Amino acid sequence: MSILYDEAQQSIANESRRVLEARVTKDQLLPLLESTGQYHEAFWNTAKEQGWTALAMPEDFDGLALGLVELGLIAHQAGRTLSGAPFLTSSFGAAKAIEIYGSEAQKAKLLPGLASGESIGAVAIASGADALPKQPQLVFADDRIDGMATGVSGGLVADIAIALVQGPDGPALVVASLADVERQAIESFDNSRCVANLRFAAAPADVLGDGEEAHAAALHILALQAVITAHEQTGGAEALMETARDYAVTRRAFGQVIGSFQSVKHRIAELYALVELARANCIHAASREGKDDFITAAAAARLSATEAYDTAARDCIQIHGGIGVTWEAGLHLHMRRARSLAIEQGNALFWEDILVDRLTGEAA
Amino acid sequence: MSHIETYRANAAKWLESVAPTYGKAARRSLSEDEDLALGRRYQNAKFEAGYAGINWPVEYGGQGLSHIEKVTFESEEMKHGFPTGYFGISLGMPVPILMQFGPDQEFAKERVLKALKGEEIWCQLFSEPAGGSDLAGLRTKAEPDGNGWKINGQKLWTSWAQYSDYGVIVVRTDPNVPKHKGLTYFWVDMKAPGVDVRPIKLAGGDSHVNEVFFDDVKISDDHRMSPVGGGFGVAMATLMIERYVATDSAGFGPHLDLFIDLARTTEINGKPLIADGRIRQQIARNYAMRSGLNAITARAMLMMQAGMTPGPEGSLNKLVSVRSRQKLSELAIDLQGSHGFAYDDHAQQKDNWTSSWINAPTGRIAGGADEMLLNTIAEKILGLPQDHRPDKGVAFNQIPA
Repeated sequence: MSILYDEAQQSIANESRRVLEARVTKDQLLPLLESTGQYHEAFWNTAKEQGWTALAMPEDFDGLALGLVELGLIAHQAGRTLSGAPFLTSSFGAAKAIEIYGSEAQKAKLLPGLASGESIGAVAIASGADALPKQPQLVFADDRIDGMATGVSGGLVADIAIALVQGPDGPALVVASLADVERQAIESFDNSRCVANLRFAAAPADVLGDGEEAHAAALHILALQAVITAHEQTGGAEALMETARDYAVTRRAFGQVIGSFQSVKHRIAELYALVELARANCIHAASREGKDDFITAAAAARLSATEAYDTAARDCIQIHGGIGVTWEAGLHLHMRRARSLAIEQGNALFWEDILVDRLTGEAA
Repeated sequence: MSHIETYRANAAKWLESVAPTYGKAARRSLSEDEDLALGRRYQNAKFEAGYAGINWPVEYGGQGLSHIEKVTFESEEMKHGFPTGYFGISLGMPVPILMQFGPDQEFAKERVLKALKGEEIWCQLFSEPAGGSDLAGLRTKAEPDGNGWKINGQKLWTSWAQYSDYGVIVVRTDPNVPKHKGLTYFWVDMKAPGVDVRPIKLAGGDSHVNEVFFDDVKISDDHRMSPVGGGFGVAMATLMIERYVATDSAGFGPHLDLFIDLARTTEINGKPLIADGRIRQQIARNYAMRSGLNAITARAMLMMQAGMTPGPEGSLNKLVSVRSRQKLSELAIDLQGSHGFAYDDHAQQKDNWTSSWINAPTGRIAGGADEMLLNTIAEKILGLPQDHRPDKGVAFNQIPA
């Protein structure tokens, strides 16, 4: 089964699109590529002002108690206009970990700040290339973390991080303040993601879940984030598909618009197929939160959205010809974003394995 | 339980009850004639049980329900491998179009009832040697003959013409005007003198399509179903009538579970293929694609139930599912190594990879070739221009050969 968006959800989509299109331009985003650790403040201020940071948080902690469907709609629009910061997803993941696995005291302490957007969250589950390590590199003992978390999106400016750590009795999911943690900015092809290596040196942290639960909890958080990211990827792919279409109906060559050549029009029609499959998988996955097949649906959404965005980035630039590869045209903003979103929250290889494990009943 | 869920549950129960008599297992070693006879009995059983003409008007013998019930029934029916193929075209397009455009409604009612009971079969005589995708370029002609018409020419790829009692046909009645404007739509008696049906054996060994020759076939003007010169419009209406059909994200090939079972039970270099990343990737990619199509279908059903028109993304199903089924079927044969040679031409493409593979090219061409589907998406949904068409606005008999 799937769902149809209701009127309230439709208006979230329309309103967020209107606001973002009015406030985010490629001329604001291009300079961010050439500076390390800068994010687009207008985007994040908009997210706070519009209540997007509070959207999927519980009412008891200043949230709006909506869910994946609504946040997904906003992420889709953010993907269309290129979000200027990764926090919509990273803070959401951090908040969900605290909401689901934290104590009342932890929730009361941390969630209101995340809901208002005054506090920014990051998620550090991966160890290097491994999105969900069996043996995390961060070491946890006596309520303190040691070691380095690498390539954490938003890590450069986040106030708190959810981390998967190796404790004395196995892995644990913890929440740590980043106030005194050393951060090394990663010079990236998509600098507004504010990616950093985080060096923990006896940094205090609180346990959210440990033992058997820790892994399942980490996967669940990754899956929730993956569904949001998949919406963002689908939005980016949709915008590129429309851009390619708009160019193909105006640009002329050999006495006709290039969109009348099948090599071009079929390429755009194929993008339409990829975008619609990704969209359908996203809506479905968002509607399955809390159900047995949620991880399966999230994996399918993630895989089809990554394929859609990658292909759209490749083909949209190709259809534009020379103008498509200029700095000024800005299509490379999407090409860059397609890759950074492809490797946040577990890459396609990771989700393929998760999915097949579920389909074959090999997953726990 | 919602109304539609109750309907689905009842349909599923009835289908289970008749599956041993008419389903996959009962058909296994039948000749085509025996299978057709079984199919006629199954169609009649559906009629008796109230599952024929589900969304057709009651006064024609239908059930007067909506296309939601029809699609729901079909998606359940598909699971059992019933002999429905012989009636798919007949009940899908020509017979509904006869209800809508048949000049003599008493005659139409008789025909509809017999078709619903599986007693008569109709075919659709559209494609020709000179054009399939380019339907309006057809050459079979009808000339005035007394008070009626005389048909000469050849049709091609006509499904089940060899078993058909009647057919609907588009022919050229005026070659002096642009190609779309010189066509007229008729029904014909397939047993009439001058109609010659010759089955064509396809790559998979079966012969469900035919070439049909018309040699001075005389029909009276009451066979005409469109204004003279207005045949293209009725032809388009015929092709549109099947918008609401049950789709199959497996592309009418095997379910992905069968591929997973195969990968589980097969080893290469001493390792199970289900642990091989190349195979796992294909499983994951195919699953993601199929789940996307299923979600599109589920949303279309919800939209119909809400009284809305489903979005155009439903048109992706055939394009996406059949070509991926083709590749997955190739891989499934590879997986079996030297066991992959075996071929049973009675096997069903829904549960046999080799049958699925050898019939896949037909699936990608029949009922709209992949390239035409891409054109339709590009032009109708995305607003991209038509290809360069040198025959546009040119009288048919002036089009350069």
